Amino acid sequence: MTTLGTGGIVGAGIERVDAPLKVTGGARYPNDFSLPGMVHAALVGSTVAAGRIRDIDVSRAGAAPGVLAVITHLTAPELARGPLTLLGGSPPAPLQDDRILHHGQHVAVVVAESAEQARHAARLVHVDYEATKAVLDLDDPRAEIVDDPWGLDTRKGDVAAGFARADVVVEGTYTTPDNTNNPLGLMTTLASWHGDALTVHDSTQWPHNVRTTLAVVFKVPESGIRVLAPFVGGGFGAGLRVWPHVILTALAARQVGRPVKLVLTRPQMFTSVGHRPNSVQRIRIGATRDGDLLAIEHHGLSSVAMEDDDYEPVSFGSAVAYACPHVLTEDKQARLNIPCPGSMRAPAEGQGNFALESAIDDVAHAVGMDPVEFRLRNLAQEHPLSGLPWSSNALRECYLRGAERFGWSRRTPEPGSMRDGRWLVGYGVAGVSYPFYQVPCQARVSVRRDGSAYVRSAAVDIGTGTYTVMTQLAAGLLGLEIDRVRFDLGDSDMPYAPQAGGSGLTGALANAVHAACRRLVREFLDVVADDPASPLRGAVPGDVTIAGGRLHRTGDPTGGESFVDILARHGLEELSADGRSTPPRSEDLGMALAGAFGAKFVEVRVDPALGLLRVARVVSAIDGGRILNERTAAGQIIGGTVGGISQALFEETLTDQGTGRIANATFGDYLMPVNADVPDMDVLFVGGPDRATAVGTKGVGEIGLVGLAAAIGNAVRHATGRRLRSLPFTIDQLML
Amino acid sequence: MKHPATEARRSGQSPPVVPHVDVTLTVNGTAHALRVDARVTLLDALRDHLGLTGAKKGCDQGACGACTVMVDGKRVVACLVLAAQCEGREVTTVEGLSPDGGPHPVQAAFARHDAFQCGYCTPGQIMSAVCLLAEGRAGTDEDIREFMSGNLCRCGAYPNIRAAIRDVTGER
Repeated sequence: MTTLGTGGIVGAGIERVDAPLKVTGGARYPNDFSLPGMVHAALVGSTVAAGRIRDIDVSRAGAAPGVLAVITHLTAPELARGPLTLLGGSPPAPLQDDRILHHGQHVAVVVAESAEQARHAARLVHVDYEATKAVLDLDDPRAEIVDDPWGLDTRKGDVAAGFARADVVVEGTYTTPDNTNNPLGLMTTLASWHGDALTVHDSTQWPHNVRTTLAVVFKVPESGIRVLAPFVGGGFGAGLRVWPHVILTALAARQVGRPVKLVLTRPQMFTSVGHRPNSVQRIRIGATRDGDLLAIEHHGLSSVAMEDDDYEPVSFGSAVAYACPHVLTEDKQARLNIPCPGSMRAPAEGQGNFALESAIDDVAHAVGMDPVEFRLRNLAQEHPLSGLPWSSNALRECYLRGAERFGWSRRTPEPGSMRDGRWLVGYGVAGVSYPFYQVPCQARVSVRRDGSAYVRSAAVDIGTGTYTVMTQLAAGLLGLEIDRVRFDLGDSDMPYAPQAGGSGLTGALANAVHAACRRLVREFLDVVADDPASPLRGAVPGDVTIAGGRLHRTGDPTGGESFVDILARHGLEELSADGRSTPPRSEDLGMALAGAFGAKFVEVRVDPALGLLRVARVVSAIDGGRILNERTAAGQIIGGTVGGISQALFEETLTDQGTGRIANATFGDYLMPVNADVPDMDVLFVGGPDRATAVGTKGVGEIGLVGLAAAIGNAVRHATGRRLRSLPFTIDQLML
Repeated sequence: MKHPATEARRSGQSPPVVPHVDVTLTVNGTAHALRVDARVTLLDALRDHLGLTGAKKGCDQGACGACTVMVDGKRVVACLVLAAQCEGREVTTVEGLSPDGGPHPVQAAFARHDAFQCGYCTPGQIMSAVCLLAEGRAGTDEDIREFMSGNLCRCGAYPNIRAAIRDVTGER
């Protein structure tokens, strides 16, 4: 087996293998597919946020040109709710009763020959609502509160005693708004039944979840369902769950007996596929005058839908970020009449880190210590809760090398002390300890008579580079040139893969590909075990090395033989092997499983007269374990950083408190960064392969986002002396 | 003047049948005679009637740029143009950028600089970039930032998009 050293194909910043398709318009996303006989669906959304449907009149819609069916709660069959998944429960099944739980809830689906006809007819559905007063606000006393929803509330030491001993105590309440994932690809489902068999093209981050869920909902065998997603126009978490519109499309297709395509509109993307829920966080931190942390207390309250769940433990990150003897974290959720929230890039971490790293900066300031020095002094040398050594942790190097690259030493500590003409200049830093996440995954690898390899797994590449990095990894492990390896994904008929989410897919899949390649070597050695013509006769996997498509005994590179020789001599067209990865276990390894670490350095410019805030520079120093492709990994950090700048400066989903309607559900109204808003940025990778897994990657899909809001806020504080505690940082907060 | 559809809605009658239009679309140098629902946009005509799915639908409201194509050499967002308006005009899509085979220099630069991730906005970004270069508006980084700001990239590949365009201007 080839060991994964450095300097080879694994890690190299090669061009994406799917680049030719993506730059020519040849990559086919779910809404690029059409089928013979295909018809189109359009959704009708509730115009009230709470209450019930008193009457629904579909007569005009049903009589409109081209209309084939109008399905409402009165005509829909009973549908089972989807199963419990790795991410919690499934969203409620659609059209099951007359109750309205949120504005925009699907109340009817119209199917017509053309998309124009379906959209038009959807506007002719007349719904008579009996509206009740919606619960929309986190502090509405009517809201049901869910305590400790994930069992992650933490009590370590005695925070009261810690605060009593503290020389400095800093306290603040931080708020973050609803944000909407808004991948650019409009989420699409194209469903086609053949008896009880169902083929679905879907904008999903997890084909197997779609397959399992549809099987449960429609009570048909999973083996007849095939879910395809070779390309998906982004997700950022919006494609993790099987949302009601996916089920409605399959239902419509079954009802009309033809393939049905549903493309969500952009406004529907705000109400149908999750969002990052708002939060109110109270944080309190105590330290000695020498700069040692003594106590951290962090309370988070987030919104959740009336009858759904969402994993969003915003405060938990504060329990594992620093060496601190006394810690209390506590999370609650308030049930509101809102569309179901869901994961949005760096769920929980994106909100919680803003409060923690802002408050940490204030403590550093209060004790008169440089913010980088303060963080280094309080680094968690071991896991703060288990006390185990980390499987890898280069956070110190992140701070040191990031500070050097950024030019942190030029910072003068006094607020307002750095200027450039009319602009106040501020430097800010924030640290990130991203949680480890990995779940089981499988892959299959075949080597064929022509010496090429085919590797596949039912994963999805939402732009992270999965196609490319897995091609590189397999090429490296099998000693093949990159153009002799094809990696394929996005098809539920392939071996099981978990979701592209939680920064966990690359690790899970890489270790599965690694296992498959190991097993394939064993297959080849089994074939020649008793072959007198083979120089590898009797060899075991530990004896052999792979290079240039050849197996040879380690130390004897001129001996051995090629995959092709073995296949040809034994009359085999190909040999295949399956591999699976299971997540490492902390208790087996005696190590705490480490996710990625990072330090973010930001320079801002503030015009105090006009309240303008510009992000001028960003340096991100990241310990991502082994990096499989330095260019696509850097792309993840850059893209995450843009998401972080967006969270800090732009994004806010506004719900009208009177009606529960989202008031800015278009790209014209919902602010996101455009090209001119984003500076060039530096990304440094530090550290090395993680010790907990064979390949040693740590996911980098989300850490890029985390810390930006706090680092920008800390830079604003440095520039202006003002601490901003409410996202996004708008002009009204900045006018001095 | 009262619109017939408004009248129909008010009176509760079924809406009038929407007229179809005959239009000849010249796309990437080939003329296509189409009879389409008068409401069909250029974007939907390209994607659903001609099978040219390179131009993407990201908002259908003219705000994201994913559907950018050239009409008579100028960039337009194809979701805000009716197919019926394009009679007699030359439409160029990402599929027609490089008629001689091999990538257009902008396509090659996007690949080289990893100027995309999910790739959904990419055809629109590339069409805008090609026009920007033709218009002479890619001379400075400030210009590129400004004139590429009509094309959203939610994956956040903006710095790499700029690098790709700079690279092409350097070649010229």
